[in-house]
Amino acid sequence: MVNEERVAVRLDEQYCSRCSICRSLCPFDAIKKEAETGKIIVDIEKCQVCGICYSACPARAIDTIYYDYGSVISYLENAKQKHARQPLVIMCKGSTPDLAEVEGLFKVSNFIPLSVPCVGRISDELLLTVAGMGVEGIYVLACDEDYCRFDRGSPLARRRIFALNRLLAQLGYGEEFITLKRNSLKVKVDKDRCISCGNCVFYCPYHAPKLESPGGVNFDLDACKGCGLCVVMCPAFALELEHWERERISALISKLLPEMKPPKLLVFRCQWAAFPSLDGELSPNVRLIDLPCASRVDAIHILDAFNNGADGVLVAACSEEDCKQEKASGRAQRSVAKLGGILSQIGYQDRLHFVSVAPRNGDGFNKELEQFSQKIKDQGAKK
Amino acid sequence: MIVTAQKPLNEILDLVSPYSKILIVGCDGCTQPPRGLREAKTLGQLLELGGRLKGKDFTFKATTLVKQCDSFLTASALKPQVEGVEAVLSLACGIGVQTVAELFPELVVLPAQNTHFMGMEDREGGILEERCIGCGDCLLALTGGVCPFTRCAKGLLNGACGGARNGKCELSPDRYCAWELIFERLEKKGKLDNIREFRPPRNYQVKAWRLVP
Repeated sequence: MVNEERVAVRLDEQYCSRCSICRSLCPFDAIKKEAETGKIIVDIEKCQVCGICYSACPARAIDTIYYDYGSVISYLENAKQKHARQPLVIMCKGSTPDLAEVEGLFKVSNFIPLSVPCVGRISDELLLTVAGMGVEGIYVLACDEDYCRFDRGSPLARRRIFALNRLLAQLGYGEEFITLKRNSLKVKVDKDRCISCGNCVFYCPYHAPKLESPGGVNFDLDACKGCGLCVVMCPAFALELEHWERERISALISKLLPEMKPPKLLVFRCQWAAFPSLDGELSPNVRLIDLPCASRVDAIHILDAFNNGADGVLVAACSEEDCKQEKASGRAQRSVAKLGGILSQIGYQDRLHFVSVAPRNGDGFNKELEQFSQKIKDQGAKK
Repeated sequence: MIVTAQKPLNEILDLVSPYSKILIVGCDGCTQPPRGLREAKTLGQLLELGGRLKGKDFTFKATTLVKQCDSFLTASALKPQVEGVEAVLSLACGIGVQTVAELFPELVVLPAQNTHFMGMEDREGGILEERCIGCGDCLLALTGGVCPFTRCAKGLLNGACGGARNGKCELSPDRYCAWELIFERLEKKGKLDNIREFRPPRNYQVKAWRLVP
């Protein structure tokens, strides 16, 4: 159950006009109209915290604890003090490549980055306020529409930006003050390494890989949803997921571990399982690596972490019901359990832990992290 | 495919503990999942981790071969990689291990796997079952494609024994009765007469230990 105090999305009945716009936009059927009273109710257990209802409510009756108007504006005001009159780039974290690539994509340099889970949660009001704050332009990077983890977020952002650009043009902001671009992060195949074993074909939930003729596997990239499961199942290192390449994650691990204080706790987290706050500070014992899905959690990287001196590794994923991919988190849980069994053979029992969390519960992840930290502290540091 | 299972890590650690520079050699050949480059690298990481707790520092290199049992491929592919290596830890089946040991007699070659059988994976994945004992006298044509040597717990050539309950073997309730499977398959093909045919005891003389291709 979600803790009342830190529930992620809340509807204030006092302001609700019962227009049902939120209900019609919710991709997860989490908003209901009570038959007898006509009241609009958020079923938080179904809510995936995309923020679409928050951004769309004309009465501002819905509130969220993540990336709401107030926190985004204060983040931008802080950023603007450092870099006056720079463009703002709002990116969905589901499809964001390197910031250098983002620069190239929009042909802007030195921008204020704002990474959010789903650009569908950015309201008209926020975009207009930002325009009035004197930024040089607003750039929005959304997922391809059929890649959107929240189904309706990316199409909604398109419609919203189209309408706002018309409005801003009338006000003298130029024809396209807000620029929308799309991106998706998908699998890459190195055919020289492929051994045609068919593991990717077996595991892919979307039937993207095909192994029909000699000469290695072919991927239907339109079908690929970028979960990364095939990448960790490939025995030949022939597959990579864009922006989440194996070497890149390994390099990040070797960079993070030395700057931590013992007991060192590294977290591999599905980026949809918990949302980082815009001004969050981490304890020196803890570092986070957000991954596109728990199924991209790789035994290689967990072992990298331990070999670089981690005292504990936490894998935080969505529950199987909340998984934005096809049951990928269940697969990840089994892989972690298997690796945990092997690790316990060599004295590393209870150092690897898997938890399911959800952003709907604002404290969910932090509580699990605290419990695991305590457990690792009690066990003491490894050599 | 040839089905192998990794030895317990402590056993492997004991095997490699006299050496420091170790080459882990995977095999992309017939095992499922392939014991390729990923397994080689992962095993190296695990042994490094386990070695550290025992105060032992290893240097592992990981590589893989297309088919470790192919002596031509293995000789040419492995030769440039074994220089300065004290021991080779092989992820292949027993045949691969022996191939490397024979090709590089001066090298210490250690098995990381226990080789179990020739078999296949069920459709759901996760379970591997023995399907062929290499008897040298294949009778699958008579039995509708079900091998009674491997699938009948008693290895009966003229079944069924009568001990099956609900299609499952009396020895183990999660094992199908091979002879009931054979009956069903033959029935579907309209070849039930096959079952009346008497099959004499296995002729061990036809089992070859070497063949000229």
